[in-house]
Amino acid sequence: MSDAWSPGSPQLVIWLLAPYLAAFTVALLPALSAPLILLCGLATALLGGWLLLGGSGLQLLLLGRYGVSLSVDGLAGWFLLLGGLVCLAVWMEGRRQGWDRTGWLLLLVLLGALNTSFLTTDLVSLYVSLEVVAISAFLLILKGRSARADWIALRYLLISNTAMGLYLIGAALVYSQSGSFQFTALAALPPGAPLALVLVGLLTKSGVFLNGLWLPRTHAEAPAEVSALLSGVVVSAGALPLLRLEQLSPSVTALLTPIALASAALGVTYALVVDDAKRLLAWSTLAQMGLVILSPAAGGAMALSHGLAKAGLFLTARHWPSRSLRGWSSRPLAWSLQLPLWLGALSIAGVAPMLGFSAKKQLETALSPPLAWAVLLLSIGSVALYTRLCRAPWDLTPRAPLSWGALLLSLPLLIAGVAFSAGRVTVDGLVKTFTVLLLGVALDQALERLRWRERMALPQLDRLPDLLGGLGLIGAGLVVAMHSGRFSPLLAGGAL
Amino acid sequence: MDRYCPADLRNADWPMAAIRLLELLILLAALAGFTGLLLRRNLFLKVLAMDVTGSAVVALFVLLGARSGLRTPILSRLANPADPGLAGADLADPIPQAVILTAIVIGLSIQALLLVVITQLARIDPSLDASSFDPPDRP
Repeated sequence: MSDAWSPGSPQLVIWLLAPYLAAFTVALLPALSAPLILLCGLATALLGGWLLLGGSGLQLLLLGRYGVSLSVDGLAGWFLLLGGLVCLAVWMEGRRQGWDRTGWLLLLVLLGALNTSFLTTDLVSLYVSLEVVAISAFLLILKGRSARADWIALRYLLISNTAMGLYLIGAALVYSQSGSFQFTALAALPPGAPLALVLVGLLTKSGVFLNGLWLPRTHAEAPAEVSALLSGVVVSAGALPLLRLEQLSPSVTALLTPIALASAALGVTYALVVDDAKRLLAWSTLAQMGLVILSPAAGGAMALSHGLAKAGLFLTARHWPSRSLRGWSSRPLAWSLQLPLWLGALSIAGVAPMLGFSAKKQLETALSPPLAWAVLLLSIGSVALYTRLCRAPWDLTPRAPLSWGALLLSLPLLIAGVAFSAGRVTVDGLVKTFTVLLLGVALDQALERLRWRERMALPQLDRLPDLLGGLGLIGAGLVVAMHSGRFSPLLAGGAL
Repeated sequence: MDRYCPADLRNADWPMAAIRLLELLILLAALAGFTGLLLRRNLFLKVLAMDVTGSAVVALFVLLGARSGLRTPILSRLANPADPGLAGADLADPIPQAVILTAIVIGLSIQALLLVVITQLARIDPSLDASSFDPPDRP
């Protein structure tokens, strides 16, 4: 780590502070909102793209040994690209919906806080940026202006602040044992209560398994553009620190693997039975976040492909004729909606030329064979649940308005996917993908017969006491798993 | 008032047992806040319980800073040549105090935001029973 200003660091600090400055300028002069948001979003996406294409990374330690530490590396690149693109797309859609200056202010503050949380590698700066992310997300949810939105937003902030309180206790314990707030200090400690508390906080933020039970309803009830932001990038702000911790310590990976798989299974199961299309997308987010934190080697690619696709899908939600999946196949959707819907669905389901396919392949090669098979099995479920969305007939009226925001997010999935997989697609891989595809469609057909029977309903898991109980359960489970000394997945899973 | 002179504190052997006891009490307070959050039905009391946890976290950081001593860590006093023995172990650690200052501000603003939303929700159910806001629909 360099203590002094290294080349590029002044520009980096200016880039980090620019969204906040732009936010307050926009509040005073709303006429400037378009150029400022465009500038901040493009700068973020370009920096992310540059880092991904091999730009040299940078490790910074501002204000001395106890100061803010930033790590600008390839892993952060995936998330920066995602954040920039989703903010630009939401801006495009927000303009059509007539967002006012409060909306733009919150969008810019959210972008700034997300950028900080993607780069920072010390527990305290991460705490501050995650809380700013939570507050701006809370205020954005309130844009729904209904009693239901009020309740959902209140629940979100209450859970997130409680989890961050636990996280702070963890950070205090790390400091008392090692005298530092750096991630490296946490990873160097023997696993114990500090690690468990920090993990509970981050798992809640990233919406994984029982800690993420707040997620489905929150993402489903928010206004469409806000859902896109929440499901696309806000949850990744909690996932990236988890990936960084996994990179630093293999015992963190061993602890998180059972939780990640359980999250994917839970999300897929619920998404297969819900009868609300937005709720289906939200449960699928919970499943996909599990897959994102499964491996630090593939987490960035998974987060980018999932975030782009899911944000695009949520952006189309505003123009759906109805959210109910009952009779979804009898309501035609305009081709301008179907295009991003199909691109996003195919990508998350992992079909060949899309970015989601490359990401899933990268994930499978990064995992041990039994885990890779488990992921393959779960992708049958993913295919089945996205088949439900793709049932609507195409309405080919030529004058349907294009949703540019959704296209901005879903076209890169196709373009980057083709660029990535060119020359790397093997016959073996294609056969595997199409087998999964066929099995998924068959599973969906089989479930369709059972779905609407009342006694098949799964228990409702997302009332407020369930959410808080989930926090306590996972926290206690992590501590038990650590103190039992061994980290076999079976044992950690049994402790939960 | 000789008793409150910092010179006494300087050489006082800050007993480890006292710190352990305080730490235990603080963690108990955090746990009590979490339990209150879980068990209270009233939303307003839930938010207050969350604040109890928040206060416990603040107290934990203050205790953390006080482990090495209670004296304010300001350099001009240290540079006093007449009192050379000051640069010892009796200075409070400023890092946790600086950190928790930010967290206090964030906690306060979140508390305020939650209370504003609660006043809105009170128009629907004045008794603020949390279970009345959770819709009873299927998952």
